[in-house]
Amino acid sequence: MARVDLADKVLEIASRRGTLYDYVNDVLEQAVRAEGLGLQLKEVLDDRWVIKSARDAGFTVVPEKIIYDLIKDAYEKLGKRKMIGLWYETGQWYGKYYEDLAKFEGSVRRFFWDISEFKISMENEHVTLTCLSSKFSETYTELFGKFLEGALNALGYIIDEGEVSKGIISLRFVKSKGK
Amino acid sequence: MSEDASREEKLIRAPGDLVSRLKEAANREGKTLYNYVAEIFEQAVRAYEMKRNLKYVLDVYEILEVQKEAGAIFTPRDILEYSVERIHQEDDGTLQRLWYQTGKWYGVYLKEKSDYPVDAFIRLLQEGRWDLNEVTVKRNQETLEFRCISPLASQERTLLLRNFIEGAVHSLGYRTLDQECFRGIIRLKFSPKALKQETPHDSE
Repeated sequence: MARVDLADKVLEIASRRGTLYDYVNDVLEQAVRAEGLGLQLKEVLDDRWVIKSARDAGFTVVPEKIIYDLIKDAYEKLGKRKMIGLWYETGQWYGKYYEDLAKFEGSVRRFFWDISEFKISMENEHVTLTCLSSKFSETYTELFGKFLEGALNALGYIIDEGEVSKGIISLRFVKSKGK
Repeated sequence: MSEDASREEKLIRAPGDLVSRLKEAANREGKTLYNYVAEIFEQAVRAYEMKRNLKYVLDVYEILEVQKEAGAIFTPRDILEYSVERIHQEDDGTLQRLWYQTGKWYGVYLKEKSDYPVDAFIRLLQEGRWDLNEVTVKRNQETLEFRCISPLASQERTLLLRNFIEGAVHSLGYRTLDQECFRGIIRLKFSPKALKQETPHDSE
């Protein structure tokens, strides 16, 4: 037995695709497949837009070995100042793109799978950001820290104090005046 | 089809084996079969409203999982482009070899993970979004041809992507027959049987 509203909708979809029996069969097979993978269909559909929204925001997929090596190489060849500036400016762009601290936090959590812990907490005029990743190299940590600083700066927060060491970014910001 | 209309419920006929498996799954989750099936159909309708079907959505999800497991990450495109362009100018082939070797690693990984590694790699290119807008593949017993379009990619990154694809396809048991590479356009033709020594193109 199925709820009548759902059954009607399913009937309508099935009528455009073939027989109801085949459509129901297909849907239930996929449900069993998801179950076999230890997934809920809802979470699969929720994640459906991850790749698209990442792409729309200007992120691209790269094997981590390549990006970590490339960044290290670029840091050595192009210079620390140049690379820090590039990551900071890119972070600023993302801050302006998301326009909202919670949205930015959500996107970092969703897109950066190599981060094991990412948290932004607010208390009065202060924002504390913690980012942990066992995979980050020292160089990558420094640059990613600048990326985060740039984003929060564009969102109206100025860095107050911070600690950055391999795989650990801990930054404290204060709301800038006039924002 | 068998439908018994009541005021609020309808009967939908479904294969017995699937229903049994769904009953087990519903039990495991502590739900009634009725509620469990309702949730499934809600998601099927949601997928339809996204102009997709559940199979496609699950396929894409699996690719995302492969990317995660294989260690691929999202990175800002501008940073990648800038770094690649600058480093490529002074590159002695290291960068090209790195992309090729990473491609080979992906090929080996997919062979371990999938019963149909070539199909899995094609899907990875098509849905894994290496900034490729279009990936078309022609395949027969003699050859395997890729045509990849990426209007956003620079010349340098196009070359590196080509090396990545070549690396993967080589480790899947093919050798390169022909290739063309312009900014944002890659065309590669392979035939089965691996070369004794596979090296990326380093003439560019």
